[in-house]
Amino acid sequence: MTRLHFSRKQLCIPYALFLVLFVAIPMLLILFYAFTDEVEGVLTFTFANFLNFFTSTAKLSTLLMSFTVAIISTALCLLIAYPVAYILARSRLRKKYVLLMLFILPMWINFVLRITALRELLDLIGLLGTENYLNTIIGMVYDFLPFMILPLYTTLEKLDNSYLEAASDLGAGPFTVFAKVTFPLSMPGVISGITMVFMPSMTNYVVSDTLSNFNITILGKLIDQYFTTYDNWHMGSMISIILLVIIFLTMLATGGFKDSEREARGANLW
Amino acid sequence: MKKKLSAALAACMMLTMLLPLAGCGGQDERPVLRVYNWEDYISEPTQNADGSVEDDYVDLIAEFEEEYGVRVEYSTFGTNENMYNELQINPGAYDLVCPSDYMIMKMIAEDMVQPFSDEFLQDSNYAKYASPYIKDLFEENGWTEYAVAYMWGTMGYVYDPERVSGEELSSWTGLWKEENARVATIKDSVRDSYFLGVAYVYREELMRLKGEYESGELSPADYNAAVTKIMNRTDEETIDRTKESMIQLKQHLYGFEVDSGKQDMVTGKISINFAWSGDAVYTMDEAEPYIDEETGREVEGIYLNYVVPEECSNIWFDGWVMPKGANRELAEKFIDFLSRPENAVANMNYIGYTSAIAGDAVFEEMLDWYAEGEEGDTDEAGEPLVAYDLNYFFGGTGDGAYQDGEYVIYVSKESAHRQISAQFPTEEVLARSAIMQYFDNDTNAAVNEMWEEIKGLPIPGWAYIVIAAIAAGIVVIALTYVYKGKKREAKPKKGYRRVG
Repeated sequence: MTRLHFSRKQLCIPYALFLVLFVAIPMLLILFYAFTDEVEGVLTFTFANFLNFFTSTAKLSTLLMSFTVAIISTALCLLIAYPVAYILARSRLRKKYVLLMLFILPMWINFVLRITALRELLDLIGLLGTENYLNTIIGMVYDFLPFMILPLYTTLEKLDNSYLEAASDLGAGPFTVFAKVTFPLSMPGVISGITMVFMPSMTNYVVSDTLSNFNITILGKLIDQYFTTYDNWHMGSMISIILLVIIFLTMLATGGFKDSEREARGANLW
Repeated sequence: MKKKLSAALAACMMLTMLLPLAGCGGQDERPVLRVYNWEDYISEPTQNADGSVEDDYVDLIAEFEEEYGVRVEYSTFGTNENMYNELQINPGAYDLVCPSDYMIMKMIAEDMVQPFSDEFLQDSNYAKYASPYIKDLFEENGWTEYAVAYMWGTMGYVYDPERVSGEELSSWTGLWKEENARVATIKDSVRDSYFLGVAYVYREELMRLKGEYESGELSPADYNAAVTKIMNRTDEETIDRTKESMIQLKQHLYGFEVDSGKQDMVTGKISINFAWSGDAVYTMDEAEPYIDEETGREVEGIYLNYVVPEECSNIWFDGWVMPKGANRELAEKFIDFLSRPENAVANMNYIGYTSAIAGDAVFEEMLDWYAEGEEGDTDEAGEPLVAYDLNYFFGGTGDGAYQDGEYVIYVSKESAHRQISAQFPTEEVLARSAIMQYFDNDTNAAVNEMWEEIKGLPIPGWAYIVIAAIAAGIVVIALTYVYKGKKREAKPKKGYRRVG
């Protein structure tokens, strides 16, 4: 009986299989569907879906509005999360992990439940049914705030105090220290947080459906509609690809792919 | 050896991932009937979390299995489109499916279903007990051979008479009224919204027809045909006008709903819901005050009303069809079993919708639910009870307990606007109720596009400002970046050396 011994290559097989089955093949299928259409029962190669997307007022309006909702949600998340993360990371509180926990804790409760509860709360305040966009943004911020706080917290916590001391020694006031040292050094966390909030804000239609009473259509909802209601997988795949490209471009623009920053980005947390 | 082992491992993983657990419980030799139905659309007992079964509702599937020595593979779907896709992907996977009216028409037109046997059509519980009204409707439309009705009803408004005016809601236009802003929901569904929009657009034409029908110029059949024709218009102008009126309505509604409308009515979040009659019954039941059995105290509630607006309504039904390749014999046995009046009663108790099956047992159950007395009796306020005539539905299906003409339920004036009116539309309502045809592919594409625009437009004004601000921000950042980049690349001063 020989001893079982796996080489590194062999240990990769499960992961490779996973990649092929659940990443590569589905992606190829989506690409295939996006650039084909059924004409009289025959699949033909076409750019029609692509052209259709950029000539349809409804689709462009949906794109524009989900983009706007996502940007506002992300900006609000950043505005709320930065001070929180900063205070938590820089404070000498002995119990600060408990405080951090309090922000992370809601994440462990099923989010559909949280959103349903939020719906009742908004109804109580009187916003439900009137301020659809505001409600959706509140929901997104509520839902994704922890995803912004965590990466910010990890980068800010690792920040070397001697930089800040050096800046102060050289005569920088608190504001200058923040603007010229702390904030630039925390950029990796900011970018990581932005990508983590921006992407789901464009697609998480449970939030928009529940809190806007199906009044707001975001891109994720549109994709869902094409697959389930309109029964047009070709257009649905095309919208998925357009969304993919948008997210790719956002990552590129925010420098999310820069290698040198990868380590500092708090990527190790995820 | 090693290579073989890992290959085998890999193969095992593939298999477990790709194959469902086949071969489990393969000992069962009974013939199998594969039924594909809507969720929660057949009477079954409540299952507790610990796996025990309560004794509250009849387990129709289990009874059928026992009586006929058959095993039923029962699966459910959420929308007609999901069901249709599943049948496309897996043809021959089901013996009996239960789509809605328009989907049945589409499936018949696409030659996907097989006819029932003559024997079944002439001599079965369905032939005997199905309501003559439903059977006539199927005959007129040419579906008799391919489909049997299961549940049916109308569309209308459920509303809270304390908070909104029932008079306004006796027209579809009631939703567009300023007084009803932010208190109403409609279905998040293309077809139902299209119906509402078309009824709104052609309200004047529909009312004119109604006038002609009431003055005797139009026979009921001609009136119904004319209404049906209008409600099935799908020309470009109709679609455009419907879109405009719906975008207008959208900005004025509380919202759309998939399933939350019922609960939102009960909790009072909304006062008007555009609903299917079956859901309307459920909503009214839930909202009513009732006596808590444990404490004996009355729990507060509201009495909601149901109204089918004057212009027109949609008559809808769900029915059983057999896809090509189905086991006809078993499928027919199952429908025969469900069509026994006592089983129809069990279904109506559980689902709350109205069964297409009539018969004395069903009528007696309805008397039990709704009757408040006999002819000539008065209600609590001393007003005489009104006769709610159901002869059109039950006539000719009795076993002798009632004669034709005796199928009348006496209810108080208030009750006539409640559950019973949703459960059984009056003949007057049915005269203006139209069947909605299925859309062909081109129409479907046009209507879907309309729906997309209704759902995606308009862009609110503030959004333009936000977008402009974001664009300006991006430009500023880009410019400073370029400017700084240039500065940095400037040549080092003489005498200095760039390090690094």
